[in-house]
Amino acid sequence: MASLLLNVNGDQLEVTAPDHWTLLEVLRYRLGLTGSKQGCDKGDCGACTVQIDGEPQLACLALATLCEGRAITTIEGLMPAHLRAGGKGPDPLQDAFDRCGALQCGFCQPGMLLSAKALLERSPDPSRDEIRHALAGNLCRCTGYTQIFQAVELAAAEAQGRAPTPPAWHPDGNPWMPACSKAPAKGESR
Amino acid sequence: MLRLPKTRVAKPTTVAQAVALLVEHGEVAMPIAGGTDLLPNMKHGLFEPEVLVALGGIKELQRFELQTDGTLILGAGVSLDRIAADERVQRTAPALAQAAGLVAGPQLRRMGTLGGNVMLDTRCQWYNQTHFWRQALGYCLKKDGTVCHVVAGGKKCVAAASNDTAPTLMTLQATLVFEGRSGRREVAIDDLWHTDGIHNKKLGTDEILVEVRVPPRATGHRGAYGKLRERGSIDYPMLGVAARLDVGRDGAVEGADLVLVALQARPVRVRRAAELLIGVPSSGDNFAEAVAAVAEAAYAQAHPMPNIPGDHEWRREMVPVYVARTLHAAATGTGPVHHV
Amino acid sequence: MDARLFEGPRERGITLMAARDQHGVGAPFGDRFQVVGRAERKVDGLAKATGQAVYTDDIQLPGMLHAKILRSPHAHARIRSIDTSKALALPGVHAVITGRDMPIKYGVIPWTPDENALALEKVRFIGDEVAAVAALDEDTANAALRLIEVDYEVLPAHFDPKDALAKPEVQIHETPEKPDRGNVSKHVRLEFGDVDQALEDADVVLEGHYRFHGSTHAPIEPHCAVAQVSPDGVLTLWSATQITHYVHRALARVLELKESRIRVIQPCLGGAFGGKSDPFALEFAVAKLAMVTGRPVKMLWTREEVFYAHRGRHPMQLHYRSGIRRDGKLTGVDAKILIDGGSYSSFGLVTTYYSGQLLTGPVHFPTYRFDSTRVFTNKPPCGPKRGHGSVQPRFAFEVQLDELAEAVALDPIELRRRNWQGEHTHTVNGQRITSNGFLGCLDEVERASGWRERRGKLPFGRGLGVAGSMYISGTNYAIYPNDMPQAGIQIKLDRSGLATVFTGGNDIGQGSNSVCRAIVAEELGLDPDDVRVVAADTDLCPVDLGAYSSRVTFMVGNATIDAARKLRRLVTGAVAKKWSVPENRIFMGRGEVFDLEDRSRAITSREAIQIAEALHDTLGATGSYNTPKLGGDYRGGTIGASPAYSFTAHVVEAEVDVETGRIHLHNCWVAHDCGRALNPMLVAGQMEGSAYMGLAEAVMEVHDINRFGLHAGPSLLDYRIPTSVDTPELHALIVESLDPEGPYGAKEAGEGPLHPALPAISNAVYDAVGVRLRELPFTPAAVLRALRAAGVGPKARAAQQPEGARR
Repeated sequence: MASLLLNVNGDQLEVTAPDHWTLLEVLRYRLGLTGSKQGCDKGDCGACTVQIDGEPQLACLALATLCEGRAITTIEGLMPAHLRAGGKGPDPLQDAFDRCGALQCGFCQPGMLLSAKALLERSPDPSRDEIRHALAGNLCRCTGYTQIFQAVELAAAEAQGRAPTPPAWHPDGNPWMPACSKAPAKGESR
Repeated sequence: MLRLPKTRVAKPTTVAQAVALLVEHGEVAMPIAGGTDLLPNMKHGLFEPEVLVALGGIKELQRFELQTDGTLILGAGVSLDRIAADERVQRTAPALAQAAGLVAGPQLRRMGTLGGNVMLDTRCQWYNQTHFWRQALGYCLKKDGTVCHVVAGGKKCVAAASNDTAPTLMTLQATLVFEGRSGRREVAIDDLWHTDGIHNKKLGTDEILVEVRVPPRATGHRGAYGKLRERGSIDYPMLGVAARLDVGRDGAVEGADLVLVALQARPVRVRRAAELLIGVPSSGDNFAEAVAAVAEAAYAQAHPMPNIPGDHEWRREMVPVYVARTLHAAATGTGPVHHV
Repeated sequence: MDARLFEGPRERGITLMAARDQHGVGAPFGDRFQVVGRAERKVDGLAKATGQAVYTDDIQLPGMLHAKILRSPHAHARIRSIDTSKALALPGVHAVITGRDMPIKYGVIPWTPDENALALEKVRFIGDEVAAVAALDEDTANAALRLIEVDYEVLPAHFDPKDALAKPEVQIHETPEKPDRGNVSKHVRLEFGDVDQALEDADVVLEGHYRFHGSTHAPIEPHCAVAQVSPDGVLTLWSATQITHYVHRALARVLELKESRIRVIQPCLGGAFGGKSDPFALEFAVAKLAMVTGRPVKMLWTREEVFYAHRGRHPMQLHYRSGIRRDGKLTGVDAKILIDGGSYSSFGLVTTYYSGQLLTGPVHFPTYRFDSTRVFTNKPPCGPKRGHGSVQPRFAFEVQLDELAEAVALDPIELRRRNWQGEHTHTVNGQRITSNGFLGCLDEVERASGWRERRGKLPFGRGLGVAGSMYISGTNYAIYPNDMPQAGIQIKLDRSGLATVFTGGNDIGQGSNSVCRAIVAEELGLDPDDVRVVAADTDLCPVDLGAYSSRVTFMVGNATIDAARKLRRLVTGAVAKKWSVPENRIFMGRGEVFDLEDRSRAITSREAIQIAEALHDTLGATGSYNTPKLGGDYRGGTIGASPAYSFTAHVVEAEVDVETGRIHLHNCWVAHDCGRALNPMLVAGQMEGSAYMGLAEAVMEVHDINRFGLHAGPSLLDYRIPTSVDTPELHALIVESLDPEGPYGAKEAGEGPLHPALPAISNAVYDAVGVRLRELPFTPAAVLRALRAAGVGPKARAAQQPEGARR
């Protein structure tokens, strides 16, 4: 059984795993990083999406041993990175997913978030069409995608200093709930 | 979780080392690049290599150059995503860029390589299944069995070539550079194929695809790719149409080519395309008539089998539709032809 | 069952709920809600967004073994013998079990126990479970499966329900005590009023045959279960289930353990949609293997295995005959339905009733007959998928309504308005209707889609279609007869200022735990962050019947109000006493407590709770909900009887490519009467997700077998669920009718909004190209055939089959 040196979320980790183990299996069952999910076994659903050298790829079709020397980011890495960078709470995109109801069962969302995060890094203010195409490898069975699109749009707009228009169902006088980084003081109405 | 069979991974850093490993281990070794085709197939028990020779660490396979004479050199290890997004490819070989951009879904295009797509295993609804599933119906001709479930009494495997980029490279008259124990050889991509779904490529087990060379095209080169699939992402082609038009200064078609994929074991050229299109102005009613004639010729020539999932009669009906749309897209520079 | 005439439902009075279960539609303090009605964060949203949420397969216990299941490669076979000795001898294998280790049959419906945890005497579909292995790792377990030798006597198999009826001698479930039963799983025939006369009296009678194909849930999380047995014999099962309570009961029955010795926990769940409602083989298998080995055991199913587990939408062949008068009033509906049940009963008894019972609103027809037969076939078993039993008849009927509207030259929306049943009434089959916001739904989709300006006026190839529906908010049919509450809640309130809610309800992603939190925060005037929810753990939580039949918000919501109000009275009473003011002057909201007539007198919730704890001792309360007596006065009359019904209307905008047959869906406007939107963000999410799922199964998804009886494509590559680029723009339009019995007026939102999607597509296609699609699925190939049969679009070329090609 080979000893691997993996760079996961900025940590250099030594881990032993047989050559036929995928990155997903090593993350989940060796390193305990269970945020990356397994949905289809073989590259059809995108639930296992992680970033490898900044690009969303599928951990279920990556042999762990071939990921040595590459920077792997999993869903567990986003909030600590945001905090290290001086931010508050979770990454603003994670926060936006929560604020928009994009997380129903949540199972596809770690992968979805990492795809969306990479999109915003290369295209900070994407159109809905761009978002649709960037997320077209991440199946969601709960949301019909709408609230996911809204979450990406909200995160992008706020990063640009704009507030997007809330959807039609949103109650009057109750605009987007505030971000974690702008949590109201105690007693203040949210 | 569906597990991979046990295997060992070797990580050569040069093509020569990779070839040496393949020679050393013989038939029990297989090369792996992006792994997006091989690993699902291994999880299905279709391949059980004892040694995987990983190509990802070989720099030579990452060449990506537009030479001064206009030759495009694409290392086999370049990702499909990079090819799709590259302005040089979009300009000089639009059909290839479009096809690469429509392979599978976003993550798979980042992992999958051009070489891997060219060398993709053929696909069939009776083959790309788990061991349990295949065992329940007694296996098939391509793997572990003796019966073809596509063609009654069939003695020859009809699994379908399903690689989107291959037909575009054929229209572009690309050359493939292989390296094996006896050195490098160049093969016109047209000459790569067998009409045999089990092994649809003429290839030694020690050979690695090193690069793809797309020769310079005339200034009037136009190309497009049309892809039929159920969903707007992830799915393999149910039909792929690659078109090339060389348009002269006078606007007339001087050269034309049309290749279809996902019908049978190899990509197939529509034989009468050039004959019907050359000399015709590349727009207007005459062009539309010629395109309609090519579409009919393609329909007459194409006989999709119930090999890959999807209604094969409908796939046949779609041949003239996608041929016509793709030729028009090539002429007008509006490809790809894709439903989303 | 026998036909029975049921008359006069409209004359009967409205049944009222018990006082305990009625809480009114208003806010607990003043006239404004503090939490309810707002787009609040979910309880578990950030845990899910950051990867912290723990799903079943995320659980790893020390010394845990991994289990796998051996499945039948035959569609129908008798098991002569099983030899497990070679598998047991494989190093690393700790146990192998077969049906003989768990011979007691079970079924989620107590009247139809026809399943074994592992097959005992027969296998009934390809993929049926035969044996299970626990080993050190999955690779070893898989290797062991290949060493198990099963001797089968292969039997003829049925793949078509008509064949299964025609050839009862090949019987899938032997019933020596009832030799005439053949392969009939359930037959229901009910008639309300004189349908034949009503059809005779109609000006126009339309008759049509409709077909609904199979589809499945495909949650992204595959089924998974982990079991552990403590040294003193308590079995703990973590399972990706949506009904902990029924798994609990089934485990006790099959494993012959006392229920009090079993604890079932549902961790975070990665989607269900009805597909995790039945007890499954893996739950029994890991439990038994843990008992045998003394070690924790996990089983995670592959995606392929999830397709074999199925319990998805029943394929149905539906025949409808409806009469209408020239004034646009319906006179009667006559339905005959053949239901393909697959290999086991599952919820099939209910499915068979639902296929007829749930059609009787929001459009009223004064006479009705349905005759539904569910038949066993050797295919993966069907069960409850979102909109259980009623999506299929709804499809047929709503397409027929469009045809009827055309026949009497009425706008289809107008036809539905004209036949609206009204509110606070009874349906033709005796179901009590309370609030009914269907007209509001029609108004909303008509407005938002630009119906009046656009329908019938768009360019050829593009069209709008409408459809409506009704669905239950839970049912008073409790699956197993008992007089206990359907939902229970317990709340602990302590001096830290934290309220902890214990609910047996299953949050499957729909947000039921967040609804609990919102209600407790509303009632106790707490900041929602100061409410924690503990759910779906049978040791800790009071019984709730689980996440099915869209019951959770309505029933658990009411139970939560019941418990929280008891605590509220304790707190307001204690504060009022301390301040020497009347209780009705105490306001509690979002963490603050003050005197309404003297705002300077204000304390925090925490201080108020401490005052109450000092006065009353430790604070806690329970709450419950049970339905009133509901349903028609005939056998089966309670099945489909709900305390409240939700209503939905869709307008779909579709474009048909007449060359390819592909239907491009551009927009879907979804208006849904959910009573009151306790959290509009969650309601919109349910509406959009429902509409997506309905649209998906209409145009893309096919759950079917091939000619060998083998699943045609058990993967997420071949079973194509739409990606983000395949899904149209979904527009959620919330309609609030304030149901008198719902929690603050709320009704369900998770299943109803699926129904109209499918018929609305068909109706939009008719508007677009004038071709009526009556058979699902609307795959491009099928649509192109229909277009050509109708002479629309380019003509077909001479058909030419490749030699030897087989379908």
